[in-house]
Amino acid sequence: MHAVNGVSIDFEEGEFAAIVGPSGSGKTTLLNMIGGLDYPTEGNILVDNTDLSTLKSSQLIDFRMNHIGFVFQSYNLIPVLTAAENIEFIMNLQKWPKKKRQDRTMELLKAVGLQDRANSRPSKLSGGQQQRVAVARALASKPKFILADEPTANLDSKSTGTLIEIMENLNKEENITFIFSTHDARVVKRARRVITVEDGKVISDERKE
Amino acid sequence: MMMILLTAWKNVWRNKIRSLVVIASITVGIFAGVFAVGLMSGTMEQRVDAALNQEVAHIQINQPGFRDNYDIDLLLENSHEVAKQLENISGVSAVADRLVINAIASTATKSKGVQLIGIDPPKEKQVLELDKTLIAGSGNYFETKSRYKLAFIGEDLAKELNIIRFRIDESVLDSLSEKGIPEEVISKIRPFQDTRFASEKAFLKSMKNVLSAMESKTYGGSILEEAWTFRDRSKLTLTFLDKDNIQTGGMFRIAGIYDVNNSMFEESQLFVLQEDLKELTGIDKDAAHIELLKIIDRDQTNEITEEIRQLYPELEVLNWKEISPDLAMMTAMVEKFHAVFLIIILAALSFGIVNTMLMVVLERTKELGMLTAIGMNKKRVFTMIMSESVFLTLVGGVVGMIISRITLWFTASKGINFASAAEGFEAMGFSAHIYPSITNTFFITVTVLIIITGILSSIYPALKALRLDPAEALRTE
Repeated sequence: MHAVNGVSIDFEEGEFAAIVGPSGSGKTTLLNMIGGLDYPTEGNILVDNTDLSTLKSSQLIDFRMNHIGFVFQSYNLIPVLTAAENIEFIMNLQKWPKKKRQDRTMELLKAVGLQDRANSRPSKLSGGQQQRVAVARALASKPKFILADEPTANLDSKSTGTLIEIMENLNKEENITFIFSTHDARVVKRARRVITVEDGKVISDERKE
Repeated sequence: MMMILLTAWKNVWRNKIRSLVVIASITVGIFAGVFAVGLMSGTMEQRVDAALNQEVAHIQINQPGFRDNYDIDLLLENSHEVAKQLENISGVSAVADRLVINAIASTATKSKGVQLIGIDPPKEKQVLELDKTLIAGSGNYFETKSRYKLAFIGEDLAKELNIIRFRIDESVLDSLSEKGIPEEVISKIRPFQDTRFASEKAFLKSMKNVLSAMESKTYGGSILEEAWTFRDRSKLTLTFLDKDNIQTGGMFRIAGIYDVNNSMFEESQLFVLQEDLKELTGIDKDAAHIELLKIIDRDQTNEITEEIRQLYPELEVLNWKEISPDLAMMTAMVEKFHAVFLIIILAALSFGIVNTMLMVVLERTKELGMLTAIGMNKKRVFTMIMSESVFLTLVGGVVGMIISRITLWFTASKGINFASAAEGFEAMGFSAHIYPSITNTFFITVTVLIIITGILSSIYPALKALRLDPAEALRTE
């Protein structure tokens, strides 16, 4: 049994796509392979003409840092750092100058509506707020695309609505590609492309006008 | 890098209680180990100092074979000339010569074999500090004017020969009252007023019969101290052979009694004026059995000993390590104990750190997976885990070292009194009042080793963190 089997799929810049399917259908595995966290046993993954399957582990890590942003289901913020420090973390890894880091952090906090909570630790933020910080963190290094694995799974409906709106705005304004794996009908409704996966195979791929 | 270190420092305090427990265990371990080493070092240091300053000096020179039987005929001729030459050697501080003769010391009730040491007090004072060990109120160091020849004897010999006695009289009871001994205790010993006890043993036995165990333990020392009496003008008889093997001797007045906290030494070493001994034995004025040397820097003992051996190949030249091999052996053994203690402390520290950090890696599997996913490379993950370990170690280590330092500083000035075990200590030649000591080198060494241990202990947990597959780690609950 293969988690993903015979999948061939392309994503273009600026897409707002949702990968849907029941639990165990292979959505997360597909997302992980696109993000370079899993290797395909056959085939390859090309991101901007770079074949991820040919990169060594250390090269993959660097590639992810510079090209891909991640948003996780359970936020996965660093609990000992503030919201601002979490966002700055990647920029620190990339050795951005301090002023440039701080400016970008503030810009992102404003974009997600949390400029007043810059110095709050994750434990002082609601689930929705934490996920917004996670989105800001994913965008910090200006990646090619954001991979979001069930980003709304732990959120209430109001927070879900706010988060999707933020991501949609960023997608439209900055042309950032968003690829979600999701069960959430509200996310599917807002996606402009819906890829349905079942038993590791893509069974449908619909683009909306 | 700063971000990694800052994050690592904050991670240490993520679980405050666990971190504080680990830090406390490191602190206690370090403190206990360093203090124990300080106690051992201080004890040995005091013993060696006492031996060098009161008993054997740094170097001794005598005729070959003299120490086998202390043959009176094995003399150093022209000893004054030899002494002058020795004084001119670089590093030598002072020289004194001695006669050493086996003798019997007797009083009316007891006798004992002793070693009679004929000294020249002014020269002897430059080499050894025996004069400073005089018990207050027991006389002086050969300053008495008497028609009798003078002897300077050890406290334990004085007790053995019943020269020191124990007596409770009105003045003793008054002194005990002034010292704050409860009236209840004083009334128990009052029936012994004007009783003279022949020995310390008999005195203590009588006290134990009337006092409770707690009272004996608490007040016994003070009662013994006050009841201690020494009759001024006490005398003893010394009997020995002269240079012609004819028995001779004389009556000596006790000039003073010394206490060097070494029972064996006090019972055997009895000091008289060299001129008196030469008069009685017929030994030449310019001869001696032993030259005693004091040197400026103890660390130069071996070099100076070799130099003197080159100068006097026909004589036996021994340094303190050779004269008291037991002392040298104990010193070497204590140094090895330091190393063993250090290894135990560091091993315990290491296990504690490895255990804690493995738990940390396990608990943060998902987070570590996330960090790798978003682009934190292996080197940075490794650095972060290692930094957390080093910070934990450093905090516990530094606090432990500070507490040890303060405790050692305090106890080094006040000392720790093991009075209840004084007899046992003195029987082995050790003072019961110990002043712990630690060298700065040891302190620095321990600090550096703590840091190294922290670093090395973090390697395994950090490697565990590196082996995590980010995709698998992210799936962890």
